[in-house]
Amino acid sequence: MAFRKIDIDALEEDAFGEDEIDFQEIGELRPLADVEAQVNSRAQEVRSLLQRGNTSGALSTSLQNPPYGAPFHAAKARNTQTVMEVLNSIKVADVPQLVKSLSPEEQDVLMKYLYAGMAAPEQNNSGHLLAWHEKLTEVAGQGCIVRVITDRRTV
Amino acid sequence: MSDSPIVNEFNQGPISCHAFNGDRTELAVCFNTNVVSIFRKSGAGWTQTSTLAEHDKPVTSVDWAPKSNRIVTCSQDRNAYVWTLDGASHQWKPTLVLLRINRAATFVRWSPEEDKFAVASGSRCISVCYFEEDNDWWVGKHIKKPIRSTVLSLDWHPNNVLLAAGCADMKARVFSAFIKGIDKKPAPSPWGEKLPFNTVCGEFSNGAGGWIHGVAFSPSGESLAFTGHDSTITVVSPGTGDIQSIRAPYLPYLSVIWLNENQIVAAGHDCAPHLFELKGQQWAFSASLDAAVKKADVGFTARDTFRRMDSRAQSATSTDTEVHTHHQNTINSIRPFSGTPGHVEQFSTSGIDGKLIIWNANSISRGLGNLHL
Repeated sequence: MAFRKIDIDALEEDAFGEDEIDFQEIGELRPLADVEAQVNSRAQEVRSLLQRGNTSGALSTSLQNPPYGAPFHAAKARNTQTVMEVLNSIKVADVPQLVKSLSPEEQDVLMKYLYAGMAAPEQNNSGHLLAWHEKLTEVAGQGCIVRVITDRRTV
Repeated sequence: MSDSPIVNEFNQGPISCHAFNGDRTELAVCFNTNVVSIFRKSGAGWTQTSTLAEHDKPVTSVDWAPKSNRIVTCSQDRNAYVWTLDGASHQWKPTLVLLRINRAATFVRWSPEEDKFAVASGSRCISVCYFEEDNDWWVGKHIKKPIRSTVLSLDWHPNNVLLAAGCADMKARVFSAFIKGIDKKPAPSPWGEKLPFNTVCGEFSNGAGGWIHGVAFSPSGESLAFTGHDSTITVVSPGTGDIQSIRAPYLPYLSVIWLNENQIVAAGHDCAPHLFELKGQQWAFSASLDAAVKKADVGFTARDTFRRMDSRAQSATSTDTEVHTHHQNTINSIRPFSGTPGHVEQFSTSGIDGKLIIWNANSISRGLGNLHL
């Protein structure tokens, strides 16, 4: 219908808009200060776990409670950085076993961060992230990747 | 009954929807066109007997009432027709149903008693249609609130009143479609007691969002299974309050049925039916019901290989492009074929590859029977 000039769906009063969808999927947003505080404290906790050599604990902690929500750009970037630190400090040989020990929710969150990391190849080692991606797909399957694409809660 | 699936290839294009009649001697299929073709079983194959041509746009869904032998079709042209077989002429006569929707109809199903049918549409509503004797026509009542987007699939509860709907607003809901004058008050169920029309008896979502492509009540009606585009199947049992979401490591499923109270079969973009089972209290993925196609079926002689290469304009052989399942493309519909609702023995699947395959559920259960406690 290329000859039609009116976008009839834009004129609809009761449209199911982005805001409503995000509210349905993410819920009430926490205050910005709370979210940033949580992300910062998590970064410190993860760093200390890494220094003590507890890589599985660090990985698991970094994947808890991601800052979902449209206004939290800085917090998301900070949290992605934290996760990248953990991923970079783990040897490729250890990856398969660590990935298997994650819960299904953590695996889905990890896949989200892998794609977030690969989206910024200047900052992150894409080759290393691809190795993680391969091992995670072996365990969690294509369904995990589909969930990254469908889920409105982005990291 | 053979163990291997019965493959029916029509070579008329992708199948958008299919429905068998009550004794499975006739089949209504739509090949993504404006018409529905009726086939009759003859020997091992199917011969076309008639064509239901009344819609102006592609037919999106068809359902065949087993007892009253009426067919209902709905289409992108915002209409639905009820087709009755004229005894004398053996022709199917259409009756227009006024759905009063301003977007395409997407899905239609007869109720268990076949006195009503529900049509899902892109108008963000469900038309529940019943026959009004006084005016001698089909009338539709709308279920609108709180649906926010296109309704993609429907399933009726065995009590003929409750209706489950999967929707593009990422919610699966259970509504009451009680019509005064047609329905008697239903027995209290875990879904609710007083149920006037359009009551929302439950609203559920999967873990990671995604359109809800398929919904199915369990044979007893106590539980609801639904599958979404986030490759998740959720089973809800309001009686016990139990909600379980299974994150599948596969591509999303588009359609789902219950074989019995403990087994669910789902099929979709992975081109094979997958079995989910209840072990103890936990639902989990069990197995794909499609063992890889044997090489012999694909044609392994040098002549076959080069003929295949020719037809695909390839310069080198590559076995990667063959999908090693019976269906070569997405399965978009799965329906019980034989057995009772509480114990389905065979089910049929149709897909975009234009094939209609009838699977034997018993052989799979027997094979996996060893895994049960």
